[in-house]
Amino acid sequence: MGGEVVKLQISTACQGHGRCYTLAPQMLTSDDEGYVTIRGGDPIDVPEELIDLAREVEGTCPESAISLLD
Amino acid sequence: MESSVIAERHGTEVTGCPVMHHDFSKTREMGDYWALANELRESCPHFYNKYAEGGYWVFTRHDAVNDIYKTPEIFSSASITPWEPDPIYRFVPTQVDAPDHIKYRRILNPWFSPKAMEAAGPMIRETCRSFIEPIVPRGECDFFEEFALRFPTAAFLSVIGVPTSYTEVFVGWVDAFFGGFGGDPEGAAGMATALGEMRVFWSEQLENRRREGHREGDLFSYLLESTFDDEPIDDEVLLDMCTVLTLAGLDTTRAELAYMFHHLAQHPEHRRRLLDEPEIIPLAVEETLRYYTIIFGDGRKVTRDVEFHGVQLKKGDMVYGLVSGANRDPRHWERADEFVIDRKRNNHFGFASGPHRCLGMHLARREMAIAVDEWLKVIPDFELATDAQLFERGGGAMMSLSTLPLRWEVKS
Repeated sequence: MGGEVVKLQISTACQGHGRCYTLAPQMLTSDDEGYVTIRGGDPIDVPEELIDLAREVEGTCPESAISLLD
Repeated sequence: MESSVIAERHGTEVTGCPVMHHDFSKTREMGDYWALANELRESCPHFYNKYAEGGYWVFTRHDAVNDIYKTPEIFSSASITPWEPDPIYRFVPTQVDAPDHIKYRRILNPWFSPKAMEAAGPMIRETCRSFIEPIVPRGECDFFEEFALRFPTAAFLSVIGVPTSYTEVFVGWVDAFFGGFGGDPEGAAGMATALGEMRVFWSEQLENRRREGHREGDLFSYLLESTFDDEPIDDEVLLDMCTVLTLAGLDTTRAELAYMFHHLAQHPEHRRRLLDEPEIIPLAVEETLRYYTIIFGDGRKVTRDVEFHGVQLKKGDMVYGLVSGANRDPRHWERADEFVIDRKRNNHFGFASGPHRCLGMHLARREMAIAVDEWLKVIPDFELATDAQLFERGGGAMMSLSTLPLRWEVKS
C-alpha cells in the first residue's frame, strides 16, 4: 500500500446521473446542471483512506465516465 | 441457445434469430414482466418481435443495451416506442437527436438539477407530509391510489409553479395518456383526448405569463425567457416540452414508489435498516430503480445499416433494449437477482443512460427518498392488506401496479 498513488479523473461522458457525488461528497460535487466536478482539480490524487470508496464510485457510473489510474 | 449466426431480416422474413410474438402492454401478475425479461435474456441475446405491425429487434442483455444507449448516432430517439415508429406525439427533447438535443437539455437541466431539487426539498417534504398525515390514523389505505398517484403529481406541480389544486386533473390526463401508450387500440382515443386537453392547458399557462409577466419559481416564465440558437423557443416546441415533462414526471415515480413500498411491506428487516440508518435511503432508492425497474425496455430507431451484436440492422429498423433484462443480467451484476439494500456499485439503467438520461431523475429520487423517510417515521411497521394476487400493467415500456392495499396498527 505504501507509496501507492491512485488518481481519479472524469471524462466528457458524464451525463449528470449524480450517483458518484452522492456516494463520495468528500471528493466530488456537481455544477449547476448536475454534471460532476472533482473538488480540487481534475484529476486528483485520491487520499489513501478514500481509495476503497473511489473504487465504488468508479463502478456506480452508468456512463463509465470515472476512471481510477493506479 | 447462443445464437452465433448473423440474424437478418429479408422483407417480412427473419433468418438466424428467434422470432417471438409478445404483447408487452397487457396486464400480467405482478413480477411477471421481470420474470419474462430474465427468461428472454437467458434464452437468447436477441429476438425479433413480430407482435407489432412490421416488428422490431429486442436486445436482452446488458452489453447490448449499454451499446444502444452509448451510440445515439446509430440509435436515434426519433421514436422510443418500437411498436410505433411514427407516434402522434413528439416529446422534446426526448425525441430530438444531436445536435439540437443538448441545446434543449442545457435549458432544462438547471431547473431539475440536484441543487435545484435540494432547494425544493423542504417544499416536497411538506407536500409529502400533507398526504401521509390524514392516512396514519386510519390504519389502512390503498397506497397506490391515495399516495403514490397524488404525492409525486403535487410535488411536480409545485416544482414547476402550477397550483397543486390541479393535482386531480393531471392524474386523470396521465392515466388516459398511458392507457394508449403501449399500443392498445382501445386506449388510443383517450390518449389523443388527454394530449389535446394538456396542450390547451399549457397554451393557457404560456398565454397567461405573456400577459401578466414574469413569475418567480415558474417554469413557464423561465421557458418563455429562454432562447434556442439565440431565438425564443417556438410555441409548438414549448408545448411538446411541457407534455413530456408531465407524462414522464408523473407516471413513472408513482409506479416506482408502489414497487418500493410493496417490497418494504414484505421486508421488515429492510424497514428496520432504513429506520436505523436513514443515510442509506438513497442507496435503497437506487437499488429499487435497478431491481424493480419499471422500464421494461427502451426503443430506438436505426439510422444506418449496421451489424450490431450479431444482427444485421437496416436503416429505419426499430430496436428495443430490454432494460429489465440488463438491470438483472448476471453477466454484469453480482447478486443480480437479489435486492441488496445498500448496493453501492449501482450503474443501473433505471433512468436510461447516454445523452437522454432521465431529466427528472433528481426530482424522482428525492421524492422517493422523502416518501420513505417520512412514511417510516410515522408508520414504521406495515403489511399488505390483501392476499389477492396483484397485477401490473405492461404499458409497452413502463410497468405499474394499479392498487397496493396496506395496513398497520394504529397506536392510540
